[in-house]
Amino acid sequence: MFRLNLKIALRNLWRNKVSSFINVIGLAIGLAACLMLLLYVTYEWNFDKQAKESANVFTTMTNIPGDNGKISGTFEGSTTAFGPAIKQDIPEIQYTARMDYGAKNLIANGQNSFKRISKFAEPDLLKMYDYEFVQGDPKTALNNPNSVVLTTNTAKILFGSTDVINKTIRFKDRFDLNITGVIKDQPDNSSNKFDYLMPWSFYETIDERAKSLNWENYSYTTLVRLKTGANLKLVNQKIYNVLKKNTNDNYQSQVLFPLSALHLNGKFEEGKSVGGAIEQIYLFMALALGILLIACINFMNMATAKSEKRAKEVGIKKTIGANRGSLVIQFLTESMMLTFIAVIFAVAILEIFLPTFNQLLNIKLSMSYFDKGSWLGILGIVFITGLIAGSYPAFYLSSFNPIQTLKRKIKSGGLFSISLRQVLVVGQFCFAIVLIISTLVIYRQIQYIKNKPVGFDVNALVEIPQDGELKTKYDVLRAQLLKSGAVTAMFQSSVSLSHRGQNFMDIQWEGMTKPDNTQLFNQVSTTYDFIKTNGIKLIEGRDFLEKFASDSVGVMVSASAVKTFGYKNPVGKTVTVFGDKYHIIGVFNDYVWDSPYKSNHPMVVFFDQRRTGNITMRLNENNSLQSNIETINRITKSINPAYPLEINFLNALYSEKYNTEKTLGVLSNLFGGLAIFVSCLGLFGLVAYSAEQRTKEFGVRKVLGASVSNLMKLLSLSFIKMIIVAIFISAPISYYAMGKWLNKFEFHTEISWWIIPVAAFGTLLMAVITVSFQAYKTANANPVDALKYE
Amino acid sequence: MIQLNNIEKYYANKGIKNYVLRLVTTTIKKGEFVSIMGPSGAGKSTLLNIIGMLEEPTYGTYEFLGEDVTSLNERKRIERYRNHIGFVFQAYHLIDEMTVYENIEAPLLYKKVGSAERASRIADLLDRFNIVAKKDLFPNQLSGGQQQLVGIARALAAQPSIILADEPTGNLQSAQAEEIMTLFKKLNQEDGITIIQVTHSEKNAQYGNRILHIADGVVKEDITVA
Repeated sequence: MFRLNLKIALRNLWRNKVSSFINVIGLAIGLAACLMLLLYVTYEWNFDKQAKESANVFTTMTNIPGDNGKISGTFEGSTTAFGPAIKQDIPEIQYTARMDYGAKNLIANGQNSFKRISKFAEPDLLKMYDYEFVQGDPKTALNNPNSVVLTTNTAKILFGSTDVINKTIRFKDRFDLNITGVIKDQPDNSSNKFDYLMPWSFYETIDERAKSLNWENYSYTTLVRLKTGANLKLVNQKIYNVLKKNTNDNYQSQVLFPLSALHLNGKFEEGKSVGGAIEQIYLFMALALGILLIACINFMNMATAKSEKRAKEVGIKKTIGANRGSLVIQFLTESMMLTFIAVIFAVAILEIFLPTFNQLLNIKLSMSYFDKGSWLGILGIVFITGLIAGSYPAFYLSSFNPIQTLKRKIKSGGLFSISLRQVLVVGQFCFAIVLIISTLVIYRQIQYIKNKPVGFDVNALVEIPQDGELKTKYDVLRAQLLKSGAVTAMFQSSVSLSHRGQNFMDIQWEGMTKPDNTQLFNQVSTTYDFIKTNGIKLIEGRDFLEKFASDSVGVMVSASAVKTFGYKNPVGKTVTVFGDKYHIIGVFNDYVWDSPYKSNHPMVVFFDQRRTGNITMRLNENNSLQSNIETINRITKSINPAYPLEINFLNALYSEKYNTEKTLGVLSNLFGGLAIFVSCLGLFGLVAYSAEQRTKEFGVRKVLGASVSNLMKLLSLSFIKMIIVAIFISAPISYYAMGKWLNKFEFHTEISWWIIPVAAFGTLLMAVITVSFQAYKTANANPVDALKYE
Repeated sequence: MIQLNNIEKYYANKGIKNYVLRLVTTTIKKGEFVSIMGPSGAGKSTLLNIIGMLEEPTYGTYEFLGEDVTSLNERKRIERYRNHIGFVFQAYHLIDEMTVYENIEAPLLYKKVGSAERASRIADLLDRFNIVAKKDLFPNQLSGGQQQLVGIARALAAQPSIILADEPTGNLQSAQAEEIMTLFKKLNQEDGITIIQVTHSEKNAQYGNRILHIADGVVKEDITVA
């Protein structure tokens, strides 16, 4: 029976090529979207879950106090004293590992030097991530301060092989370290990635701040592994007690949070996780499922439209002894098989587009064909899709009464199914129109933010990290570069212009009413020519100048900082930061750094030659870009030979800031396009069937004198009506949803009135083209052909 | 075998009853070959459909093989289709997507007959109706007469005790019609299969041994053919 069903299903597919094609292509697109989703969700879901004990691993979050005892912000970070203190006092804690955030640092094998991501960590890190040691012993790898563990990739880059135990590498051009282990490269979906790992004990020898146990500097992370079965709530309660014992904080300033949950739930409000990247995953899921559903609806619609043809078959089969169950199984077999064929195409589509998709989202997904799980996943999707697509036709068709079908009494589906079919078509197009409107709004928003002035001219600005010798020989570099004519001005600063500096709150100003400041400030330290180089608008006062020795106690502040202070004539007034008094020498306009979507914290710029980090240069636009870069490269190399030069263009850094929204835009564009395409495919199929059914009617009408345009109108109108209904339903929905989305951004555009008509007419146009193509064909046919039959 | 008592069938339309059958009472015994005749719209097909349990009478009782089957649920009805009743239609109603062989096999599959038994029965039928060479063809590749042969073979496959034929030769040329009727007669006489056919043709009616004349829903005559 099953084999016969399969055979007949195949014959049916082959016979109805148009509808089979529409169904297979539609389902293949929907399934490809779903498979992509499955890969993406698996990837995101398994962030930091690779280790056996990952469920017991927690990271430390720090809460920032706000007004009225509330918590104004939460970030992943901890102090050096925290880890040892809780390990000592709380028995549930099995392991703790302090780490730095990781940074790109120079690592060299002789002349072979690269900047790769380094990380310092306590040895117990190896108890939380199950790093697979290709070489060396995990038990002893981080015991000796002068040891280093490389990833396979790093070992290959430096030495060309992984057989490197006991070889020596040079760190930051200053320290020789002994390689004690090589681990397999970490998976991409890991939060604490590094290219080489060094023991915390080594960090203590090179950085005083890491050595001292303090409770104020939140520049580190602390991972904690709890004993199995420990109660997180209770542990956090105990942590609060430890904090009370050691600090003056009267709130829970540090708290443990599941490490594997942080990636997707990294958004905190008042110390509680309120989602984060998981929203994007939900959105993506909804998009992919929506497209699959559209394809399923196509299948259902085509199947019920064909019901007249199939009804006879049902009737006959019932009179020769088929029961309803066997018919249901037969129809489901058909839909399952169709889905199965579609999934083969879907895998092909997936393979073709996965690289593009990866590039778009900046991830590395791949199909693992040898994994049992992925095959089960695919089969599961095929089964569920087949069931959804096939269930309605199966149950609907199998319920036909044999005598009615054999007498041809059945009307094309009956009243109920026609209205259901219309509802489904309207639903499909609603989804598509919502996506189109969303795409337009997202693009408008990106455009709006892009067109918003950054506050200075980012073109011709480049920056380089201040590494190695550049820290001490900055003045030499500056003199030589200015002399060469490649740059017109430059400054050193603690952070890049486009990034946030360090947040702080310990600031007091003249006439301050509150006892403590609760507004977060951003701080940047720089030396001379800050304004001259970046070209930010100076409202009052002046830049730091070499002729004023008193500038070491001077600060420049942003316009928003002046507003916070409430100063009328800010220049010459004082502020007290960390207990030291500073004079305001200049006020500059706020400019965009960190996120371009919100207004940033007020900013204070200090004069401090010791706080190095970054060198920003304005290129001389009279020379060609290439010669400027070459000059900079030559001079920098001569001063700082150990380091490769990394030049970043500020306009590139700024355009990176739109990436998330751009991705969202591209995704909704892609899926919106697919949704429209698959919906139109379905519409095409429906019109084709409707035309086929009405061939005779059209023949008669034509003989009676109806023109081609009369007939086209007759056939198209009912379909066009459905699209119009869809427009009226989806327009308010998308208007509301996108309004809500826009409100997430402090700076946002309005939904222009023309977006909705554009989306509506666009969709309508697509539908009209689809419908009239078929309608014209039918209406133009020779009436004799139609009337010949019966 | 079949006992109809006061069968009535009407369709109510805006309060007016349109009678199709009125007080039909008759008995059909095992081994009879009955032809139902009458003008168009007389109710012949409706009567056959009621006998075939494809329609339910509005009033009256129907006993099939000694059981009251006036209103059966679908499961029980299908059980009778599988084991006792074979249908032959004017428009053949073969399944277009199946070959001749598969069309004949279908009822056996639904009846869950074992594969060896299936193969031998089908081979037997193909042989008997001289359509072995056609077994892998699809219905649209056959002539009308051949299609109807397949239709009859399919009806016989499940070895029913009764065949209900609604104008089995209505779409056929006279030579083919004669062939089919001869076949029916042979099945009736040699295999003892009860046959009830609806027909317009006096000539075809003569192949059977009893004729029911129906007009305006009423049995006018019940003649035994010599």
